[in-house]
Amino acid sequence: MGRYVAKRVVSTLPLIFVISFLIFMFMHLIPGDPARMIAGQDATKEDVAVVREQLGLDKPVLTQYKDYMKGIFSGDMGMSIKNNKTVAETIVPRFGPTILLTLSSITWAALFGIGLGIISAVFRGKPLDYLGMIIAISGISIPGFWLGLEMIQIFSVHLGLLPTAGLDSWRSYILPSLTMGAGIMAVLARFTRSSMLGSLRDDYVRTARAKGQTEGKVIMKHAFKNSSIEIITIIGLQIGGLLSGSVLAETVFSIPGLGRLLVDSINFRDYKVVQALLLFFALEYIIINLVVDVLYGFINPRVRYE
Amino acid sequence: MKRKKLVALALVGVMALSLAACGNKEEKSSTKSETKTEGTTAKAEDGYLIKASNQDAKSKDNDLVIAIEGSVSSLDPANIPDTNAISATRGIYDTLVKFNRDLELEGSLAEKWEISDDSLTYTFHLRKDVKFHDGTDFNAQAIVSNYERIIDKENNLRQRRTYIVTNADGSEKNRIESIETPDDYTVVYKLTEAWAPFINRLTQFCVISPKALEEHGNAIMNNPVGTGAFKFQEWEEGDHTTMVKNEDYWGEVPSVDSVTIREVPEAGSRTAMLQTGEADFIYPIPSDQIAAVEGSDDINVHIDDSNIMRYVTLNMNLPELSDVKVRQAMNYAIDKEAYVQVMYNGNAKVATSLVPSIIHGYQEQEAYTYDLEKAKELMKEAGYEDGFKLTLWGDNTSQEIKGMTFVKQQLEQINIDVEVLPMEPATVSDKIYVDKDEAEINMWYVNWSASDFTMDGSLRSLLYSTMVPPTSANTAYYENPEFDALLDDGLHTADESEQKDYYAKAQKMAWEAAPWLFLGNDEVLYSTKSYVSDVYVLPDGAFTFSEAKLAQ
Repeated sequence: MGRYVAKRVVSTLPLIFVISFLIFMFMHLIPGDPARMIAGQDATKEDVAVVREQLGLDKPVLTQYKDYMKGIFSGDMGMSIKNNKTVAETIVPRFGPTILLTLSSITWAALFGIGLGIISAVFRGKPLDYLGMIIAISGISIPGFWLGLEMIQIFSVHLGLLPTAGLDSWRSYILPSLTMGAGIMAVLARFTRSSMLGSLRDDYVRTARAKGQTEGKVIMKHAFKNSSIEIITIIGLQIGGLLSGSVLAETVFSIPGLGRLLVDSINFRDYKVVQALLLFFALEYIIINLVVDVLYGFINPRVRYE
Repeated sequence: MKRKKLVALALVGVMALSLAACGNKEEKSSTKSETKTEGTTAKAEDGYLIKASNQDAKSKDNDLVIAIEGSVSSLDPANIPDTNAISATRGIYDTLVKFNRDLELEGSLAEKWEISDDSLTYTFHLRKDVKFHDGTDFNAQAIVSNYERIIDKENNLRQRRTYIVTNADGSEKNRIESIETPDDYTVVYKLTEAWAPFINRLTQFCVISPKALEEHGNAIMNNPVGTGAFKFQEWEEGDHTTMVKNEDYWGEVPSVDSVTIREVPEAGSRTAMLQTGEADFIYPIPSDQIAAVEGSDDINVHIDDSNIMRYVTLNMNLPELSDVKVRQAMNYAIDKEAYVQVMYNGNAKVATSLVPSIIHGYQEQEAYTYDLEKAKELMKEAGYEDGFKLTLWGDNTSQEIKGMTFVKQQLEQINIDVEVLPMEPATVSDKIYVDKDEAEINMWYVNWSASDFTMDGSLRSLLYSTMVPPTSANTAYYENPEFDALLDDGLHTADESEQKDYYAKAQKMAWEAAPWLFLGNDEVLYSTKSYVSDVYVLPDGAFTFSEAKLAQ
């Protein structure tokens, strides 16, 4: 198992290099001059030149890339060009809200989604199945933006139960998590259902029933365990998405998370912050995939020996 | 059997929810009809768009919460990237002089000041009873330290460009020759050449405690120490900024205990916060949100002038657009009243000069009243009866695209075929700031706001001959030495009536030459609980809260 993990970790290193290079090049290829953005529309050509020099943008691109990589390895990602904060100072405070929201959204979405999926599969074709799938389809089809604003109208404005904005207490997390998790819950429900339907028809389930196992054990221990590999893959991908920040939920609920930071930074051509964020998001997916792979190994011993 | 029960339960739940929704609707409509009789929904003279029926509402606490659309991205007043940061820093810091609500200059840290006849020497007499939040005394030396910090190239501060002009060869020229302190409470600025906007620019010169500057350097951004009505408490970028009242303030000690500025980008959420009372003041409130607050009895909506000018630049180097008749015809072909209605639900004004009415030296011009016959006649005289094709550039936000589409529809009436090309703002910049012989621009749908409210700040970058791209934003390529001379004369005099004369002539000249399609001027819309007073938005979009009161 240890060797398996080590192998997976080593194989991701070249990937990180390729990604960092691509991110760097993309930032320099998209139109829009950061020096002009900082200097302002009314700045003269000379002013813009001064700013460009200060940012080091007058150097050859490859030199800039070298400086950038050196910076990454020495932990210095440079300065945000919006104000005089370092990139780390800009990004780090945004992690907390995003991580907490990711955890709260994925937890309820996974519990409800998987539960709904199993129930629908077990009661296939019955009213409960339809009800479950109506909920799931609604979760996918209702736009998050609309859902968030409607929930604010109902729970904050009319009922006065929950806050509309910010992250001051645990109550502040309820509406954003519901908004962010709705789609994921729906995907998981649909996915669990179809995967379980497949498993429930398999021979080993029939065998389990034949040897007199209780229906609960048949469903959870035999059928569900087999489906769980696929479900974990989906959850992993969804966590990756959530950790990159949700622009919609962060905007509707005024949450200072990574998603809004990314959009604001792109608009401002705050390219050092954008580079750092993109690199982080890429790393995040790599790590999550790694964790998912390792979990496969636990659930299905065959994976370890390949 | 059990299953059936579950389904029935779920159905009951759904029905209950939908009933509750109906109930809410009824409630809403009933309050709405009530306010129609009591409240005023018509645009009132006194700046109210909607005046709440209940003007005796009480606040449940004495903490002012302001919800804004953008972000406060710096608290270093010398390195300000946006208007919200200006507003926030004005709570903590004072300036030598400031604009009052009527945009007149008045003393703040300076009690009075004199300007020499040659407009080169400015002498300020400072208040003697002022202390910084860290307990140190405010004096003339503090002004010098702050000025020196700003012009120090190493510090890399945005405000440096207010004072330092970069020449074409890269060398630099300082607008201020010297700054002297004959005694502890007198500061004398000597300018290298007359520069009329100087005193207006001083409204952006905030005085930071020299002791704190020494201690924190440029990290002063995270530890602001000023002389202002509020002391800094907390700044979480992207979320909120909080300050508490300064009990030892030299002016009137604030009435509220604290001020929190919350960043709420989504308009619907901002409005909801005002409805629930989580916010006491929101800015801006978009026109489409006004209906949502109309039913509440304790919410005011205010409307005020802004310094935002909306226009379309016409590249006068294009053969078709080089003819003044064509440019005038295009102005006649646009229904400006309809523009204001379509774009802003009527909450904006038709442009009446090159600048909004609140800019110093504004002079109303003879309107290009919507007149298709006249427009067609002019096009015929210019030999373009059958029209021609043009492109129109602009930002790719939905509002800008709507505006560009409006211009396209209007110009179609005189056979001008406009291709609307919305682009990402940074891309527009890239395409505009190119050498003259590479210029591809035809028309640019754009807006401008001069934060110092001066005529020079409004026109120089946009219409002065040497300001054509890539140098600056004169994308009309309007090159008129007479116009330049008038702007220069205006800049070099501190005599107000003389200056007004120059600027009146300049406005008339450019208005008649029509290098732009003159569209409209925005108005600022903001909304408050009716128990809030003396919090307002200035025409440049900066909000002011130092004298805020919450009725208890």
